[in-house]
Amino acid sequence: MVEKLRIWVAVKHGIDVNLTRADRASGLVRLDSAPRKTSDFDKNAVEEAVRIREKHGGSVTAISVGGPAAREALREAVAIGADEAVLVTAEEWALWDTRAVARLLGAASRTLGGFDLFLVGEGSTDHFAGLVGPRLAGELGCADVAYARHLTVEPTGVLAEKDLEKEVEVVRARFPVVVSVGQEINTPRLPTFMANLKASKKEIRVLSPTQLGVAPDALTPSVVIERVSVPEIPRKQLTISGASPDEVATRLREALRGEGVVP
Amino acid sequence: MTGEVIACYSEELTVAEELVRLARSLAVDEASRVRAIVLPGAPPEAGDRLVAAGAHAVDTVSGPASSDPHVTAEALRAVIAELSATIVLLGSTKRGREVAGRLAGTLDLPAATGVNALRIEADGIRVDREALSGNAVAVERIARRPGIVAVMPGTTAPAPSITAGAERRQHTAPSSPALTELVEVRVKAGGQLEIEKADRIVTIGRGLKKKEDLGIIESLAKALGAEVGCTRPLAAEAGWLTDDHWIGLTGHRVHPKLYVAVGVSGAVQHLVGMRSSKVVVAINKDPNAPIFIQADYRITGDLYQLVPAITKAFGG
Repeated sequence: MVEKLRIWVAVKHGIDVNLTRADRASGLVRLDSAPRKTSDFDKNAVEEAVRIREKHGGSVTAISVGGPAAREALREAVAIGADEAVLVTAEEWALWDTRAVARLLGAASRTLGGFDLFLVGEGSTDHFAGLVGPRLAGELGCADVAYARHLTVEPTGVLAEKDLEKEVEVVRARFPVVVSVGQEINTPRLPTFMANLKASKKEIRVLSPTQLGVAPDALTPSVVIERVSVPEIPRKQLTISGASPDEVATRLREALRGEGVVP
Repeated sequence: MTGEVIACYSEELTVAEELVRLARSLAVDEASRVRAIVLPGAPPEAGDRLVAAGAHAVDTVSGPASSDPHVTAEALRAVIAELSATIVLLGSTKRGREVAGRLAGTLDLPAATGVNALRIEADGIRVDREALSGNAVAVERIARRPGIVAVMPGTTAPAPSITAGAERRQHTAPSSPALTELVEVRVKAGGQLEIEKADRIVTIGRGLKKKEDLGIIESLAKALGAEVGCTRPLAAEAGWLTDDHWIGLTGHRVHPKLYVAVGVSGAVQHLVGMRSSKVVVAINKDPNAPIFIQADYRITGDLYQLVPAITKAFGG
């Protein structure tokens, strides 16, 4: 058994897709001014990290790569139970792609003593590329398990249920391992008032890529988001009502027959 | 760019065929080549089928079959290097996305997943991919080669001409030990339904009070000649229906002629799964439910009264 389990968890302060609206005329979404929040699956990752520490001991370090506002996501992680919080930021953070993020996560964990288990969400709510976890593992040459819906920590590694489209694979991997988790793995706790208060006072360690030994060149975007738009799907939005359910049903039947979509 | 070498791989043979057809449809010159990679464990007919899909060449790797993402990525890495591939097309399945990330991390390459369309242009590869939980389209430019592009399953492209005497090359897998040990495989219960292919779908959401009430939804589906779909909570949380019924961002994407959403509030993550439907009917007791914005026909009311009445109207 590793003596003191070093658990890391990545949290993204991503775009809040439920509050983001496209510009009416152009259909374009302005990403720089969009409202942000902690990415959904990342909360599952934090919850899982904290549960593992509660059972096996060790420490949980939450890390975010992003802008100054990502402190919010880190405070949330601390409120759920993370012990330490690290923000990696620089002026050009908004241009960083999944390559840059994975590289900075790897560099930060290396600089700050390494990890046994690195948890990430299986995809971010806004971008949903699902690349950061496997990318980090590929870069470090360690094992990765994606789409974990159940995770057990063993003396020298993890046993995970990997949730694929048609089957579930039960796989075992040795430390160090990167595990990406989905929403099914747990239900994140709602932090108490006291936990939130304590988290608001928690000191967040801020590091720059340079401090992590990552040259700016290594972060030059290899994938550039050029535009994001919401395609308009015209819907008729006709209301069908009637004096009784039967009348509504009859009107719906006529409408759908008119559309030619029912037998 | 002239002389593109487009390497295509998916663990799902039908997806691999789609990738080959898509690769052939890209505007590339005569010197460009579409090569299909076949890894150990593929069915014996894989090579022939990929040639029939339009591959100029098939690269078959021999060695032990493995589901470990590291072993898959290492096998691909060796072939991609040998072929000097300029574009690597993978399927944006769960395994495909994982391998895309792993390969990209190992080789320090750019990667994009969830891609619906791609174009080769002078300043790079442009892809259209889903963004904002699938409700927006992002145009992204992959600035370096080779680029890894994971394409959504179901992408269609015209059938290309078949290459007579397509090249067949054998490769030996590098001896990379698996980093994960496969302990057990559990095939999911259900899983037989292919809801993507349904012409009509009746989807039930959290408006349903208990599992026993599914009968009224099934009756409506039967009367309409439809399949039953559901939202995430009913499959993943309550377990009332198996995952093959689940429609949404992490479930299935559907595009039926008729989509009837019953007791579905219309979370962003659900809408992405159904927005390609032709005609949408929404039944909800809450007149402000977001699903109504995506509906052609809106009915406000109690599903327990409306659903049996509609079933009856359709002769059920």
